[in-house]
Amino acid sequence: MAAYVLKRLLLLIPLLFGITLLAFFLLNALPGDPVLSLVGERASPEAIENIRKEIGVDKGFIGQYIGYLKLLSHGDFGRSYYTNRDVLKDIVMKFPNTMRLAFAAMLIAVPLGIVLGFISAYKRGRFIDRLINVVSITGLSIPIFWSAIIIMLFLSLKLKLFPPSGTGDIRFLVLPAFVLSIPAMATLSRVTRTTILNILKMPYINTARAKGLPSIKISIVHVLKNAIIPIVTIIGLDFGSYLNGAVVTETIFGWDGIGRFTMEGIIKRDYPVIMGCIIFGTAVFVLVNLITDILYHYLDPRIRLHAKEK
Amino acid sequence: MRYKFFLKKGVRFSNGRGVESHDFKYSFERILDPKTKSPNTWVFDKVEGAKEFQKGGAKEVNGFRVINDHTSEIKLRKPFSPFLSMLTMTPAYVIPKEEVERWKNDFSSHPSGTGPFVLKRWLPNRELVLEKNENYFDRKAKVKGIVYKIIPEDLTTITEFELGNIDVISLPASAYSKFKNDKKWNKYIMSLEGLNTYYLGMNSSRPPFNNPDLRKAVSYAIDRKKILETFYEGRGRLAAGSVPDLLRKWDVKAGINYDPQRAKEIIRREGMSGINVNMYVTADQDVIDLAEIIQSYLSEIGINVNIKQLEWSAYKDAVNKGEPDMFWLSWWADYPDPENFLFPLFHSSNLGPAGNRTRYANKEVDTLIEKGQNSLNENDRNNFYKKAEEIIIQDMPWVSFWHRTDFLIKQPWIKGYKVYPIYTMDKGTEVAIER
Repeated sequence: MAAYVLKRLLLLIPLLFGITLLAFFLLNALPGDPVLSLVGERASPEAIENIRKEIGVDKGFIGQYIGYLKLLSHGDFGRSYYTNRDVLKDIVMKFPNTMRLAFAAMLIAVPLGIVLGFISAYKRGRFIDRLINVVSITGLSIPIFWSAIIIMLFLSLKLKLFPPSGTGDIRFLVLPAFVLSIPAMATLSRVTRTTILNILKMPYINTARAKGLPSIKISIVHVLKNAIIPIVTIIGLDFGSYLNGAVVTETIFGWDGIGRFTMEGIIKRDYPVIMGCIIFGTAVFVLVNLITDILYHYLDPRIRLHAKEK
Repeated sequence: MRYKFFLKKGVRFSNGRGVESHDFKYSFERILDPKTKSPNTWVFDKVEGAKEFQKGGAKEVNGFRVINDHTSEIKLRKPFSPFLSMLTMTPAYVIPKEEVERWKNDFSSHPSGTGPFVLKRWLPNRELVLEKNENYFDRKAKVKGIVYKIIPEDLTTITEFELGNIDVISLPASAYSKFKNDKKWNKYIMSLEGLNTYYLGMNSSRPPFNNPDLRKAVSYAIDRKKILETFYEGRGRLAAGSVPDLLRKWDVKAGINYDPQRAKEIIRREGMSGINVNMYVTADQDVIDLAEIIQSYLSEIGINVNIKQLEWSAYKDAVNKGEPDMFWLSWWADYPDPENFLFPLFHSSNLGPAGNRTRYANKEVDTLIEKGQNSLNENDRNNFYKKAEEIIIQDMPWVSFWHRTDFLIKQPWIKGYKVYPIYTMDKGTEVAIER
């Protein structure tokens, strides 16, 4: 296991290398000059030339990329062109907020999604199944910006239960986490339902029933255990993407996370910020996937992480 | 040209140290120092020795002279009338050297100066917290501090305001009529007549808009007054020329106003019916709507406008490089002087990112603006500027639309809150909370 984890972590290095190269290339291919974005509405050609030199964008693609790698090799993500702040420090400051939001959203989405999926599968074709279907399809199709605004108007402005915006304790967290959890919850309930319906058709369920096992035991030991792999996959994917920031949710609720930080960087062509967020985000995504893979190993003995164990 | 400054005694930086002449020299040279990477070097580039210093040939700027602790002198290469106004800008603020050296690259997060407030906390994309500066030399602030909250979504801002969590907000255009028509709120709306000009720029350096008659036809074709009153809900003052009404100390002849017949005549005479031009705009909904209105006015006189939407950085890049035939942009005052709306925008030495984005070049206008800059007599100066503006209006490198008025709304308990046409004028010392 340790060897496997180590191998995966080592693979992260060439992956990050490739990602930085690709991101760098794409940034350079984008229209929009970072220096012209930076200088405001009035700057002399000499000042522009000087800034170009000082931040190193005059060196061409290869020169810039090598310069950036040098910086990275010192564990430095550089400084924002705009705020002159240390990019890594800002990421480290904002990431806990993103993590809290992602955790909170998953904390709502996972149990609710799985329970709804279960009920839906067991009550297939009944009224409650149809109701859950309608709810989850609605949850999937409603854009977050709309649900966010409606929920804010209702729970903040009318009922005054939660503050509409800000980054802080649990009171500030409830609304964005709930809004963010809706699509994940909907996907989870759909996937859980389908998976369980497939499992219920399996011969081993009939066998279990024929053995006279209590249905609660069948549900947990035979159904849930076999349904868990696709569920964990969905959770891993959603969680990984939430950890890279939820731009719309963060924007509407003024939540100070990685998503908005990245977005602002992109709009202003703040290369160090964009690159820093991409590298950090890739690493986080890979780690979450790694954890998911390790979980597979424990959840399903048929999945082996290493060739030798075959 | 020399200016001698006598410093007020007893002025202290927020770290407690007294301000002396050498602090100004240090602060101003820092702006010119290439290592500072300041885009605002133009504020001081008329000072004697500035160019040599910027190029690295001189250790200091000769034009900044310290006479004694409280007297200093600035020498310009030649008279330059807007210079004193320019000294009100943030790049000309005085800062303490020891704090810059202490914080180095992080000085922007720990700024220090002589103002009525000090920065206590800055969380980018989140908030700025200012605290009253007890060392302030003038009338001290009435409030303990000011918090600026950054809320990107308008609707969220309004919700926070309606809940009473925020004292003052700038009113988004989408909410203007809602509050204006609400009896409870309408008395708390404050208007801010901005020093700005919104304009439709035309690239006058190449066909088709290198033809001044075509540019005039565009101006005749658009009913700016109607657009301002309907689409823009009257949130601005109709512009007669490029200089904002609040800064213009002269009268200009009526500009080129809506007259579609004359526009059509020009198009016919020039044989330009059916020409295609492109118009670049940013991807903001209100700008896109406006572009479509302009497009429909121009189609009536036979000009086909293709609207191209770009995201802000790409847009700015394209406009600076002179890619579009037409573009929609605004210019906001850096300092309260009509020169700020003439020299950067129409002088041929400022093409592109320096401000002249219509790439307009007219020797006569150049000379008049320079004469205005170099003239120390206000009447003469206004005369030069008036002549320059009149030629520009006739040449029409851009159609001046309006000077935007912004609106703010405050809570009933906020007293003494004033709005200023330029943000640097707002010291925040008058505002008070009375509940």
